[in-house]
Amino acid sequence: MAEKKTKKEPAAKKETKKAAAKAAAPATAAPAASPEKALGKDARVGVYICHCGTNIAGSVDIPAVQEYVKTLPNVAHVDNYQYMCSTPGQKKIEDDIKEHKLTGIVVAACSPRLHEPTFRTATKTGGLNPFRFEMANIREQGSWVHMHDREGATSKAKDAIRIAVAKASLLQDLVPKSVPVEKAAMVVGAGVAGMQAALDLANAGIKTYLIEKNPTIGGRMSQLDKTFPTLDCSQCILTPKMVDVGRNPNIELMTYAEVAEVEGYIGNFDVTIRRKARGVLTPAEAEAKGIVGGGCNGCGDCDAVCPVIKPNPFEMGMKPRKAIYIYHPQVVPLIYTVDFDSCVKCGLCVEACGDKKAIDLEMKDELVKVKVGTAVLALGYEMFPIEKKEEWGYKKYENVVNSLEFERLICASGPTGGHLVRPSDGKTPMKVAFLLCAGSRDNTGVGKPYCSRFCCMYSLKHAHQIIEKIPGCQPYLFYMDIRSFGKMYEEFYYRIQDEGAKFMRGRVANVLEDPVTKNLIINAEDTLLNRPINLEVDMVVLAAAVQPSEDTDRTRKLFGVSKSMDGWLLEAHPKLNPCGTTTAGVFLAGVCQGPKDIPDTVASAEGAASAASIPIHMGEVELEPYFAQCIEEKCAGCGMCVNLCPYQALSLVEKDGRKVMQVTEAKCKGCGTCGGFCPGGAIWMQHFATPQIVAQIDAFLLGGEQ
Amino acid sequence: MARTKGYPEALEKKLADTRLYEDERHPEFTKTVEKISMTIPHMCYQCGTCTASCPSAPRSSYRIRKFVRRGLLGLEDEALTDPDLWLCTTCYSCTDRCPRDIAPTDVIMAMRNLAFKRDIIPVNFLKTVQAIYTTGHGVPNNDVNRAARKKLGLPADPPTTHGFPKYVKGIQYILDYFELKKNADRIVKEREG
Repeated sequence: MAEKKTKKEPAAKKETKKAAAKAAAPATAAPAASPEKALGKDARVGVYICHCGTNIAGSVDIPAVQEYVKTLPNVAHVDNYQYMCSTPGQKKIEDDIKEHKLTGIVVAACSPRLHEPTFRTATKTGGLNPFRFEMANIREQGSWVHMHDREGATSKAKDAIRIAVAKASLLQDLVPKSVPVEKAAMVVGAGVAGMQAALDLANAGIKTYLIEKNPTIGGRMSQLDKTFPTLDCSQCILTPKMVDVGRNPNIELMTYAEVAEVEGYIGNFDVTIRRKARGVLTPAEAEAKGIVGGGCNGCGDCDAVCPVIKPNPFEMGMKPRKAIYIYHPQVVPLIYTVDFDSCVKCGLCVEACGDKKAIDLEMKDELVKVKVGTAVLALGYEMFPIEKKEEWGYKKYENVVNSLEFERLICASGPTGGHLVRPSDGKTPMKVAFLLCAGSRDNTGVGKPYCSRFCCMYSLKHAHQIIEKIPGCQPYLFYMDIRSFGKMYEEFYYRIQDEGAKFMRGRVANVLEDPVTKNLIINAEDTLLNRPINLEVDMVVLAAAVQPSEDTDRTRKLFGVSKSMDGWLLEAHPKLNPCGTTTAGVFLAGVCQGPKDIPDTVASAEGAASAASIPIHMGEVELEPYFAQCIEEKCAGCGMCVNLCPYQALSLVEKDGRKVMQVTEAKCKGCGTCGGFCPGGAIWMQHFATPQIVAQIDAFLLGGEQ
Repeated sequence: MARTKGYPEALEKKLADTRLYEDERHPEFTKTVEKISMTIPHMCYQCGTCTASCPSAPRSSYRIRKFVRRGLLGLEDEALTDPDLWLCTTCYSCTDRCPRDIAPTDVIMAMRNLAFKRDIIPVNFLKTVQAIYTTGHGVPNNDVNRAARKKLGLPADPPTTHGFPKYVKGIQYILDYFELKKNADRIVKEREG
């Protein structure tokens, strides 16, 4: 039986192919049931083959392709040109539309991502609807990948053009839809990137909601002691910005809050924010409750009486905090927060607060809804858990710390008042080893394959700090390459070497601990001397890799943003659109897109803010008209499509006494899920309609004989 | 010249041309090593983690990193004729820690294979082959061990080919099949007469 079946199959296939072709023909000839007019009637397609210098002409036989295209149905005019995207190239299209009365345009050139907008504009200038244009990609998917196969590349180019002509013959006029843009923006994450983006948006006159999950703004930068290469104090340059954010009338700051839900599309995002129960009222909130002159003024009386002690995450757990706490004295806003996970509700703080009545131990999470036009994600980073690379002994040996812990230990406002000490015995270390690329540039699957990009520079800065603070203290930097690529960075490297830091070119194989002295023994190779090293040091600092912060994945999914292979958020284009995402109206700022130092982070934030302000200043945005349309006479009102739609764009409505599906065009992304599913064939996907796609398939399978 | 009198050979060595010449490089050597070792020495970025992990390196001139580099560059003669090639203990510490996920130990094993094909191999390795052929063990049992085992309440001979000598035949079959014993005998004879 099985044998018979396989033997019969080829014949059966041919039959179905023919049947499909026949079935498709009437559909294209008589799309009476479609919401649009007759398709493909008297189609006259103009085809333009681009040489792209030698990019295409080098491996595609252009004259042969041109001769072939002349034989295709509906082709009224064929031409070729060195660079179709140039002004004379575009002029050809514009002139020919009038001269040859063209109804459709095909340009065989590069990827539509590159020049589709260019040729659409040319088509429009020539007097045709811009959606009458179709691109055939014969470069990225043709000449470049088949560079050494001229015959194959030529034949593939013929196929691609034939398919494009089939579609261009059936294209319809479409009108993009304009939607108004809400004159407000949202920035998620209030580290230096989020703060900068919010300030730029606010200063451009846009109401901006700044959402931060921690009780204070400032992010990672506020944990740093000094910044390279200028060595200014991180807090000193950051706190003025924090204060600006707190005071800016256009910024509505929501700390201790997170994004719970996002609905809508560019121009009209409805965002639900969860304001976590803080247990403390701000003066404004108190006033709203009728408590005159009340609310938290940051006096700290509650802190003094609270009996619960917990590690302070801002100090990397190296300093205690109470169950009612602020991270550090410069927090913005200066409002205490109750950690309800550890609060025993003894009520001492409420008593201490007295008449201000700022503390409410029964406070619950609150959901707030806001409407914004665009959003900037500035979700930041966290340290890679370097204990996963067991050979360096982090969390196993007391005197092995990561670089963020080192920042707190060397910081004047840190747990030791800026005196660097060994965690094991509180002594001042006189020999400190810095292990660079700890967990970065690691292809084992344990660490991160990328370069974390700022560890070289901060390790140089750390070396400088200990030389400056501890006379006679010797820093050793174990490195593979010192990547000092920024402005004044190489000069900084020179300076630190001059100050006496010792650079050992070799990655550390493992760290061992002397159980008595708690000193650490480093095994590495000086690859430049070609000799193994055993070095005993007092302290080891791991320049650990960075990774996207914990909440990044959840938040990015709410906004429909993808991530790249390495886990960082995916930009629309790595070079030409690094702040945009594939979701219109959502932008990226700072490290969440990939590791960046502070200057790059701020630049990226300003870029994102500028990009996010454009749709708001334009006032309305045009949406590509690839919407689903309901062919109402065919729709049975079953409603199965409504639940399938990933964008909540569909609904059932009463019309002439029966139920039919209706599309909210602004929400529809044209994904085609509903159109592919509809059992009655009642959904028409504009620009990707069934007859158009069938014609493309036919053109491919039947080699043009339709 | 007087200062160097008496050290003519050392001086000659010191003044030798040490430049790397393009004709020393054999790209097919890299490919062969990668095929045998099933690992990727061409991805090495010379961090030195392997040498620093190596128990031989602090006590010898053996530098595993150098062999991986030679594998990457295709320096066939330099790699195979260096007697250090035989100092690897195959502890696999370098393989455990290599951040580029190369298995340097397997690179060494592949190079040893290739060296043996050119009869480049220390005699003691060949004697090991002979010992395995006759006893099934690279390090056969001896009286000291037997006494120690008895003291621990173990049988004098372990349950290997020592305990079951009839299975030595199987090992001999394998060594004969790959002509390992034949070649070992031949080379030992050539070297020791």
